[in-house]
Amino acid sequence: MQPPIAPQATMALTTRQEQKISPFLEPGLQTKASSLAILQLSRDNLLPVYLQATAGEHDGYAEGVVVNTRYGSFPHSTMIGVPWGSQIRASKVDTGSRGRKRKRPTDDDPDAAATPQTANETEAPAESGTQAEDAGNATAGVKQAVAASSGFIHILPPTPEIWTMSLPHRTQVVYTPDYSYILHRIRARPGSVVIEAGAGSGSFSHAAVRAVYNGYPSSTTTTGKRKGKVFSYEYHEQRFHKMQKEIVEHGLEGLVHLTHRDVYNDGFLVDGGRSPGADAIFLDLPAPWEALPKLSRRKPESIPGDEEWVSPLNFKKSVYICTFSPCIEQVTRTVSALRRLGWVDIDMVEIANRKLHTVRDRVGLHLPVDRGVNNTPKDVDEAITRLAEIEDRFREHARLAKGAADEDVTDLAPPPGGQNSSKKAMNDVNGKEGYHSWVDGRLVTRGEPEIKTHTSYLVFAILPREWTEEDEAAALARYPVGSEQLHPVVGSLDKAARKKERRELLQKQGNRKARRKERAEKLLGEP
Amino acid sequence: MHSTIRPNAWVALKLPAGMHRVLQVAPNTTISLGKYGSFPANLIIGRPYHLTFEIQDRQPGEAPRLRVVSPSELHAEALADEASPGCATPTGPGSSEAAVISAVTTGEEFSLVETESGNVVARSNAEQLLDETARQTLTQDEIEALKRGDGTNAGKDVIEKLLLSHTALDQKTSFSLAKYKLLKTKKYIRRFQVLPIDVPNFANWQLEERDASKVLDMRAEMIGLVGCWANVHYGGEEVFLEDPQATTEEGEEKLPAIQEEQLRGRWLVVDDTCGALVAAMAERMGVLHPEESDSDSEEGQGGEEEGTKAMTTGEDAEDSDTEMAEAQDPTPSEPTGDATPADAANPKPRKPRASDFAIPFSQTNTITVIHSASQPNLSFLNYWGFDITSPCHLPHPLLNHLLNLTWLQLLKPELDTSYFTPPLVADAETLAGWKPSRRGNFHRKRRRWARIRHIVDSTRAGNFSGLVCASTMDPISILKHTLPLLAGGAPVAIYSPTIEPLAQLADCFSVSRRTAWTSGSVAEVINKSAEELERWPGTDDFPLNPSLLLGTSIQTSRARRWQVLPGRTHPLMTERGGAEGYVFTAWRAKPAEGRVEAKGKFKRRKTEAGAVTVGAEAAAGVVKAETGDAAVEPEA
Repeated sequence: MQPPIAPQATMALTTRQEQKISPFLEPGLQTKASSLAILQLSRDNLLPVYLQATAGEHDGYAEGVVVNTRYGSFPHSTMIGVPWGSQIRASKVDTGSRGRKRKRPTDDDPDAAATPQTANETEAPAESGTQAEDAGNATAGVKQAVAASSGFIHILPPTPEIWTMSLPHRTQVVYTPDYSYILHRIRARPGSVVIEAGAGSGSFSHAAVRAVYNGYPSSTTTTGKRKGKVFSYEYHEQRFHKMQKEIVEHGLEGLVHLTHRDVYNDGFLVDGGRSPGADAIFLDLPAPWEALPKLSRRKPESIPGDEEWVSPLNFKKSVYICTFSPCIEQVTRTVSALRRLGWVDIDMVEIANRKLHTVRDRVGLHLPVDRGVNNTPKDVDEAITRLAEIEDRFREHARLAKGAADEDVTDLAPPPGGQNSSKKAMNDVNGKEGYHSWVDGRLVTRGEPEIKTHTSYLVFAILPREWTEEDEAAALARYPVGSEQLHPVVGSLDKAARKKERRELLQKQGNRKARRKERAEKLLGEP
Repeated sequence: MHSTIRPNAWVALKLPAGMHRVLQVAPNTTISLGKYGSFPANLIIGRPYHLTFEIQDRQPGEAPRLRVVSPSELHAEALADEASPGCATPTGPGSSEAAVISAVTTGEEFSLVETESGNVVARSNAEQLLDETARQTLTQDEIEALKRGDGTNAGKDVIEKLLLSHTALDQKTSFSLAKYKLLKTKKYIRRFQVLPIDVPNFANWQLEERDASKVLDMRAEMIGLVGCWANVHYGGEEVFLEDPQATTEEGEEKLPAIQEEQLRGRWLVVDDTCGALVAAMAERMGVLHPEESDSDSEEGQGGEEEGTKAMTTGEDAEDSDTEMAEAQDPTPSEPTGDATPADAANPKPRKPRASDFAIPFSQTNTITVIHSASQPNLSFLNYWGFDITSPCHLPHPLLNHLLNLTWLQLLKPELDTSYFTPPLVADAETLAGWKPSRRGNFHRKRRRWARIRHIVDSTRAGNFSGLVCASTMDPISILKHTLPLLAGGAPVAIYSPTIEPLAQLADCFSVSRRTAWTSGSVAEVINKSAEELERWPGTDDFPLNPSLLLGTSIQTSRARRWQVLPGRTHPLMTERGGAEGYVFTAWRAKPAEGRVEAKGKFKRRKTEAGAVTVGAEAAAGVVKAETGDAAVEPEA
């Protein structure tokens, strides 16, 4: 897996005045230059690429920037300005001479002819044209790309799922089955503020940003809806820098606030003591219990000193937390710390995710010999038919052999044994119209060859809002108790109340009936 | 949202036994929790969510009061267990002194032994495992009398008395004692917790306690997966089409035209879960919960007024007509969910009423529901104060962001009367001569016509950002008609309680089908334009165009819950069974026109490819066909 190619050009573009919306949040309908795109080489082989429009030759390529894969070479000019999801044909790119020009300009390498690239070119010479038109965006200085037949790729818009799939395994990655469940449970919604400690590979950050995004914060208007934001903390310096770069490149500035911090000791406050006002917290730390006291509403006893306590939490709402730890001992300690710090509804789960493949289970004698075909009888009937056939042929052969001695018949019998004859039958089927490998056989599902049985334990908890005596008194004054008798009872009723209600209802209905009767009589009486 | 419990909000009251009671907290009423007692609703209104309340004993002549139970009290037992060094025993008489205790199994007998001294702390064997009821000296009548008695101390006294009058308490193991106590606590303690009705809580309640089949057995894991894989998120600032200011004499030409470049962040839904899926999506897009005003003083009154206003608006036909115009006013006026009585007192300058052809829907951040009946079944949205059938609706974000149309309107609009019939026209004079009710109907019909026209036309314009599906219909038939509507690269996520429909769907995109399709060996495909192939009608061999989706995959997830207690951590013994639930995911592809070679460069094939000589067309063709198979899907 190659790391994403990120030139300085993209950095400059994202820092310009006008706010550019991240391709993760609004990719638009078409690919754009200097934006992130994911190339799908094959099912699970995804390659993040920053598309670049170049004005001339780049790195020795006449076509500008080129991505080289095992499916051929793909100049960026063929991938800019096309609809997302497009299938992109490989182009004929001179990869061979480029290196040689620099190193050995005069050397005529005899091996070059044997490289698959050149082999492909000779195999399918035509088929250009269509792709060259697509590459209309390419500037004059760039050589127009010519389609090759070595293969194709698809170009996909970045989403947190695709990004997670394409991530090189830098550190423990929080995968989609886990983060989808976590974000659902911790109520990360548009407008929420999420704290994430241990930014790690950034897979969770991207998913969290998408969940809380409800517009970029604007400097002009400070009022209005609260904007969702992710406050991310990373202790590891290299990872921090890598992540910071990614945020800029992905256009997530203003949505992710990344801090290089040891949260165990330094807590979660930002900009010199301001509270992020978090609604939800995700801790992917080796020792979440050490960070938990910093996430209190009141100053916990375990923290010494007497400076004023600023809570990083939203003081108006219940706060949801999730911690992500692989070991059960970590869970025990975390849960214990949560209990001591007043969290409620503590719940621990682990997520087991399975991917399933669908295959055609092709079993049967009548099937052609092919990859994945099991040429054994598909059922008892077929087995019997075949056995009977063999017996028949055996008898026939014996009879003929006997007869040959008598009547001098020479070699008309087929060779004994079912093997050849069934093969012949198969060849018949093979040639038959209407046999298709994709409709034949039973459709079955099968798990992956290797499954992830354990990722981590997820501990969930809720910290309700602080509720003081004064708050209670104020609420009681606003919603005074005492006029309940005038209203019906809500919720499940005890028997007596239910009976009473029913009686009253019947009475009322009776009254209405009586009234109606009265009215009807009146009407009748009038004329 | 959900900072405090607002008047008339839907909440879930979590009872000690783990059950939930979902109800609307109307002010000035009494909420009854059955055997756990009852209390005035005003005692929880304005209070925060997730607090645990205890119903206190009723003082003579007074309504019962509530007490907030502190978390330390809730966790008292677990914390006490942690304090005891062994961590093996829950609290019980005598056990707290036991230093280190280990469980020993000897034959039939199970006993707890103090490891230091070797003393047997508790023991159980066949003879001693006795009938619970036989050992309880209190009769049922006595217990009932206890419960009814005045000083039950929120049920705690009952539990204590029960424990005390149990003759075999000393013979119980610490484990069984803890279990016994828990059982009695669940039964008698008068506590409850107030949870907000949001999608996770609602879905959980519907699944566990109500009718799971109504939500197609969709668990929280699945809701999360579907939402993420379909990339459902906030789709941008709302954009409205300009009011065409059509007068009543003008016909269809005055309808504002669809502006395709404005249509962004739209998701297509097929929902047979009574609206649970739509609610989950709306929550992810930020259009489910009405905005809460931050100031506390408004908060209370607005909510209280809601109920009464809803009642009055239903009365009068003419009145309701103007109400609807206001409710669906395209320009977001007052903060939703806050129909303030202040408005009535000192009316703001009234905005000119929007014309009949003004489109109330946002062009971005919308959910388009396609339904098979003439009306969509989205009844669960009532829990969030949205009723799609209501003609006069209070302000709600879903009003501008939820579009619905039938399959007939989508696929054969010419057969749909309400789409096809041109709008009514009448000049101002005739209109003035009509009765108010007839005039109201006239406007209503014109507005409905404009809405349906807009919805159908904008949906057929396509370029949706994703497709989400939880339906009882065959997914192949759904995709046949919805795939052309998706933008390139748009994700598809289909939930099904069982795997078979999804397996059949995935098989339509199998490697062999795709190879056959792209290599040009399917006769029907040849000489078809890209447009025609996108709207592939389907054959027996190719129910769907296999090149329209990529990265197809089926997955399932299950959350396994654990009990975490000091020394007693283990997965739960039983969990919900039934339908497992599967999700199909893929992305919409835009296939290149013409024949596409898929060869790839693989080490194994290198020599093979090199061996092919130029001009040996037939041989090359064979190699391509073979290797193509592998290159499309190397994992196969």
